[in-house]
Amino acid sequence: MNETLASRFAALSGLVLAAALALWWLGSARLAIDQGADAARGSADALHAAWLVRALLVPVLALRVGALRGWRDGAASSLAMVVPSWPVLAMAWSASAVPLGQSLLAEGFLVVAAIVLPLLGHGLRRVVPRSELAEPIASALGVALAAALWLGHARWAFSSAL
Amino acid sequence: MSRRLLLLGLALCCIGPASAEPRIELSAGPAWKGWTRPGRTTEIDIRLQSDVETRASLDVATGRESVGAAVELQPGRVARLQIAIRSAPASAVSVRVTPGPPTARDVTLAQSESPLLGVALATGELVALEGFHALALAADDLPRNASAYSSIDALVIDAPTLVALDQRQLGALVAYTADCGRLVVLDAGAAVQRLLDGARGCGAGAVTSARSLADAKAMLSESLATSMPPTLSLASAGALARPGHAAWNAIAVSLAVYFAAAALALVYLPALPVMLLAPALATAALLALLQGVHPQSQLIVWSEGKSAAPLARYQAWQRFPGIVRERVRVPLPPQLGAAVQPCEAGQAMRFEVDASGARALFAEFETRLFRQVALCYRGTFPMERSIAVAARADGSYVVRNTGGRAWPSGVLLAAGRVHELPAIVPGAAANVAGEARRPAADAALRLASTRIRIDQTAALWALDLSGVAGAPVDSTGWLLVAAAPAR
Repeated sequence: MNETLASRFAALSGLVLAAALALWWLGSARLAIDQGADAARGSADALHAAWLVRALLVPVLALRVGALRGWRDGAASSLAMVVPSWPVLAMAWSASAVPLGQSLLAEGFLVVAAIVLPLLGHGLRRVVPRSELAEPIASALGVALAAALWLGHARWAFSSAL
Repeated sequence: MSRRLLLLGLALCCIGPASAEPRIELSAGPAWKGWTRPGRTTEIDIRLQSDVETRASLDVATGRESVGAAVELQPGRVARLQIAIRSAPASAVSVRVTPGPPTARDVTLAQSESPLLGVALATGELVALEGFHALALAADDLPRNASAYSSIDALVIDAPTLVALDQRQLGALVAYTADCGRLVVLDAGAAVQRLLDGARGCGAGAVTSARSLADAKAMLSESLATSMPPTLSLASAGALARPGHAAWNAIAVSLAVYFAAAALALVYLPALPVMLLAPALATAALLALLQGVHPQSQLIVWSEGKSAAPLARYQAWQRFPGIVRERVRVPLPPQLGAAVQPCEAGQAMRFEVDASGARALFAEFETRLFRQVALCYRGTFPMERSIAVAARADGSYVVRNTGGRAWPSGVLLAAGRVHELPAIVPGAAANVAGEARRPAADAALRLASTRIRIDQTAALWALDLSGVAGAPVDSTGWLLVAAAPAR
């Protein structure tokens, strides 16, 4: 896969993710409006889901592309995955009661991860120059990071529910 | 030396205004001797006095609701405000006056689980009624806001106490009787009788006059044995409203346009800056779009009365659709502002009332996209509809206008069916026959059919709300009048 294709594929994935999110959020909001209920809860859930899905995808993508194509392509692909959801998130935030600071912090975290993690992938490639070895290691590292994030998130959600 | 003089001058300059701060005297007392019932409305009587002419800002907070008023204070004159508040579980109301150091008073409310019986007798006697908590009241314990009468379940009052009521108290009492409140008047004179005759609602079943306390107790027991027409729940009028989809449609179309543009950009302009810039620009454009959308509020009025009764009871419901996250301040229709509350009990809201506390002028609340904050109003209005209906053997009905005013066309609800009702001039009659339909198709007809007994006949008309000042463009109303059987 050449670099343009990698970025386009990431952007397309980001766009499809954003469209799916928009469909879900608009559907839940429409149901809430028809029932005279508040769409805030559904909107907060949409914000949360959008953050979680992208936070799980970015480490895998950023480390792998960073290791294979370098930092610039890794960052471009990761950002192309993160950014297309912004218009939907802005609308969902407007309909939710989530504080602005919290939403900006979550998006900032994703942007920083999309910029920093490809550097790690790039560093890994320098340590392991063979691409057939660097690629699975980077992918495994990305999956491990995503799994750690998932477990940390699950523990946080569990302790919040108590 | 000069520096010391300067400091002294500055100190004197600052002490001057501080000593000129007005001295505010504030007292606050609840109606009904502090008794109310959970979820009902009561009233706080506030007295303010200042030693100088000043403008005070009053704030009464209870639960998640607060009421504010701007009061002009004149030296030596007591300003009185009676503010209706919702009974809160915390039962503490604080009254705060600014400028200067805040003066606050806490008002404690007692919430009774038993029904409350108000006994306002000049002799101070008490009527004991099984299952009721009786309150001995003086004239000044009775509220000035009609909505505060929801705190009690029945009232016994004698003529001397009735005479001692001021104009606003009398108005609230009349509104209470019009709203099917249970009232027994002891030793009512002819004038009092005439006054109450003109206002009594619910077929006059709830208002009686007695000669003695024993009579009053017996009449009250008799009145309690018959159930009054149930008041319409706050959400019922809202069920008649159409959901507002304007904002949703605009956002759905905008997002669709964004996705189409982004997909095209991905195919024809696959450069990274375009892929990153397009979502950022679309976000800004969508947020700007929200600022430009101003959806109108929607008002629904549902009113009910009995044929030939002088007053109809109404419940109104006004929805304010939200667009952006902000605190909004909306003006309230002046004719409806006397008894207003958020339709959802947990809704945080601030009302701004006039200088007497009698009428809410503005409501302030937090809103956001797709949030539908609703306000509920209730009260009575004069009505002139007198209708007599006779059923015929062939299934048709003879409907006669027995009043002095012509009707517009409407619908007749009889035996679970709906018939078209033509406009009828005073004294004339119309034969209502033809195809009858079920009320299921229309939300208003469905609601009307649930508000009458199955053996009862009623007419439903659309209300002309053009006379309601400040009503939104999207206003709809209905008047349901239960017919009297034809003689």
